[in-house]
Amino acid sequence: MQIDDMENLGRTQQVAAASAVAHHVMTAREAGLVGCANCGRVHRAPVPANCLRCGRPLFDRARARSLQYVWSWLFAGLIAYIPANLYPMLRTNTLGSTSESTILEGVVELIHHGSYLVAAIVFVASIAIPIAKFVAISYLAIGIQQRKRGHAHERHKLYEVVEFIGRWSMIDVFVVAILAALVQLDFAATINPGIAAISFSLSVAFTMLSAQSFDPKAIWRLTDTT
Amino acid sequence: MTDQLPPFPDVEPPNRSFWRNLSVVWLVPVLALVVALGIAWQAYSDRGTLIEIRFESAAGVTAGETTVRYRDVVIGTVEDVRFSEDLQTVIVDARIDNAVLPYLDEDARFWVVRPEISARGVSGLSTVVSGVYIEGVWNNEAGTERRTFDGLSSALFVLPGEQGRVLTLTVPDGMQLSGGAPVIYRGIEVGRLQDPVLSEDGRTVTVEVFIQAPHDQRINAATRFWDTSGFSINLGTEGLSLNVESLASLVTGGIEFDDVYDGAGPVDVDATFEVYTSEELALASAFQRPPVGDIPLSIQFNRRVRGLVVGTSVVMDGEIIGEVTGVSVLSFDTPNGASVRRMVADLMVDAKLMGLETGATAEDVYDYLDEQIADGLRARLTSSGLISSETLIEFAFDYTSGRAMLDRTSSDVPIMPWVPTPPSSLNATAEGLLERLSALPFEALMNQTIDTLASVEGLAGDPALRGVPEEAVGLLQDARNLIGGETAQAIPVQALAAVADLRAIAAELRASELSEAFNAILTSTDAVLVSADQVITSANGVVETASTIMEPLNTASAQLPTIMENLMTLSETAAALEVDALIASANSVLAGADAFLTAEGMTEVPGNLASALTELEALMTALSEADVVGSLNSTLTSAEAAANSANAAAQALPALVERTETVLEQVNGLLASYGPRSDFMGDTRSVLQDITAAARAIARLARAIERNPNSLLTGR
Repeated sequence: MQIDDMENLGRTQQVAAASAVAHHVMTAREAGLVGCANCGRVHRAPVPANCLRCGRPLFDRARARSLQYVWSWLFAGLIAYIPANLYPMLRTNTLGSTSESTILEGVVELIHHGSYLVAAIVFVASIAIPIAKFVAISYLAIGIQQRKRGHAHERHKLYEVVEFIGRWSMIDVFVVAILAALVQLDFAATINPGIAAISFSLSVAFTMLSAQSFDPKAIWRLTDTT
Repeated sequence: MTDQLPPFPDVEPPNRSFWRNLSVVWLVPVLALVVALGIAWQAYSDRGTLIEIRFESAAGVTAGETTVRYRDVVIGTVEDVRFSEDLQTVIVDARIDNAVLPYLDEDARFWVVRPEISARGVSGLSTVVSGVYIEGVWNNEAGTERRTFDGLSSALFVLPGEQGRVLTLTVPDGMQLSGGAPVIYRGIEVGRLQDPVLSEDGRTVTVEVFIQAPHDQRINAATRFWDTSGFSINLGTEGLSLNVESLASLVTGGIEFDDVYDGAGPVDVDATFEVYTSEELALASAFQRPPVGDIPLSIQFNRRVRGLVVGTSVVMDGEIIGEVTGVSVLSFDTPNGASVRRMVADLMVDAKLMGLETGATAEDVYDYLDEQIADGLRARLTSSGLISSETLIEFAFDYTSGRAMLDRTSSDVPIMPWVPTPPSSLNATAEGLLERLSALPFEALMNQTIDTLASVEGLAGDPALRGVPEEAVGLLQDARNLIGGETAQAIPVQALAAVADLRAIAAELRASELSEAFNAILTSTDAVLVSADQVITSANGVVETASTIMEPLNTASAQLPTIMENLMTLSETAAALEVDALIASANSVLAGADAFLTAEGMTEVPGNLASALTELEALMTALSEADVVGSLNSTLTSAEAAANSANAAAQALPALVERTETVLEQVNGLLASYGPRSDFMGDTRSVLQDITAAARAIARLARAIERNPNSLLTGR
């Protein structure tokens, strides 16, 4: 998605224009330039239908359906998040007795055992962060759709945080995977992953894809085109 | 936003319809939704059906954890444990697998399986770790489905589908038996007991037993059950006997059964059996408890009779003919005003057992009895055994009493006349026993024993006898010293070497055989090889060359006998010497042999032999390839000559013995100058071992060739 040529071009122009126009930044789009999304070649107007270098179709980023991707991945992630919380994450078999616990049950159990720190980590990684991500991505996407202009810096920051933090939700899945692989002591103790482990990792993957589909430049484009 | 950018090109067709604008990526959430809904629906449809089981108590049953099992397979889980509205029962809600739901009908039973530790073992052990579970049983026929069940407080006695038969037994008391105790048939556990229960009237204790198929076919009218609980001690004429069935039945009790006679018919389904207290009683019951007779009699004793109870047997001529069916006290006033109390025993006797015809009526019996009474037959009380004081009513002849008859008129049941028990029977027996005991020659026996002991003591006190162990110890010490001495320990090794030598020499001396000639050829040295090479190169003049071989061959073969002779001398000397002298002389022999060996290059012999063998084999191959049978024959002739010379050499053996002996003498003198513990001994021993090894190698070779001479020609 990030096209360096375009970035650099935009940035040099930005630097050139920075002193003259403090609030308006000349964009490549305004300059009549279109970069190929595939190979990065910049085409001047009149722009051909396909890239002159690699032959891929050229398209206007502003009209791209990036938001559709964002929303669809987000919805998929939301749907997957429901069974992730309803079904058991771990199926623990200790000395013949089987116990299953969902994510939230696990957190409650950890609190009962007094492991507040671990409980906090699990809660943040598995519940707080995913939900916060849903909210944040929705907020960003709605902001673009409603052509909101203010707080561009903040929103960009938010986007960066979301993208960075997304993978950390996998910590729970990671723990489950390790436990299930290590604790296979037959009768004494066996841990198997539940359905929730799969749906949770799917949910995290979907939201990460959603965050990636989001074009942060869309935030700035609105700011630019006032 | 586009209005500011007129020059911007259309790189994409604008304004497509909403649906066309829709990205394919939307399929992802749709798909996720479908899958999620699918999983949800499946989970919902698979979750089973809720049933209700009512228990009096639900100890250990936990919602969400306790499972419901059928044949030890989990078919459901308890979802909720709650009380009924009146708090009288516990209702357990369990979600049951839909697959088994159709079978949950009238006959379905549920109970809670808990760990049970009893003398019979541990059951339900798995529940200790996994917690209790609810076991359900039902037959394999689907019936009218039910959703509400009453749980049992304990496991079902007979599981549906279990083949067998339930019998009711009456036992004297429930002390010895407990639920789950085994029912044993000829030592095999064939069934089990339910918990004993008191009958409603409180008089008897009944216990249900389940006999597994096919053992339930063993049950018939002749079957008797007896209690095997604990152990029994029997003191009888055959001595003291202790019976212990099994440890488990010792603690929990058990019941055994068997047929007491053959050919008995089947019994009713609801037949009740009596449990006897011991096997003897059960077996005796076949005789003691005949079918109760149908002919009533009574006896009126004018005093209280001890031991007379209902069931007391009536015996005539040693056979049981009936039993007492009732004991009562009759009191009436005589015409002269005195109050009289009589003890009345009501009897039932069997005509057939008395020896009458099968169809005999009561009148026939009475008439018969009348005849007998006229002859002196009377009823009397007696006891059946020496130790057991079981009371019997015996019909016996008593000729001392006066005239009597069956009183058929004074009551509705004829009254049998009776006589008091003669005091003699038991007393006489006891007296006789004591008399015989006192007649035993105890005193003489004691005296004899004392005498015997005294003579034994005298023998033991003899000082000569006491010295024996010490002498034996000394003897053992001497023997140990002899065996432990270095010289004695060296004997076996030397003897072995001598034997090996003898064998080698024997093989060698059998020189007239052709194989032996080959043997001699084998021992030829490199000279043979040189000659053999010549044979190979000149195929035509093989015969001549072979004859030229003879000379070196002879000399070569002459060498070996020399060695052999020496060895033989060695072994002979070893054999001829006394044990004590053997070692010293063997040592000297070895010293001489050592010198001899080093001088003659004896140690190289085995190697030479091996190389000679290889060469000879090559020679033979060459010979056979060259198709020189004739030359081979002549070679064999030459070999025979060589063997002859070997023979001659062997005959020169005595001379060699002398020579060796002189050498030995010399060495003996030399040895005297050496101390007995010098290095010399070690050297000689190692030399001896070398010789032994060499001799063995030769012997082995000789044996191998003797066994299979062909191997020389065929090359193994």
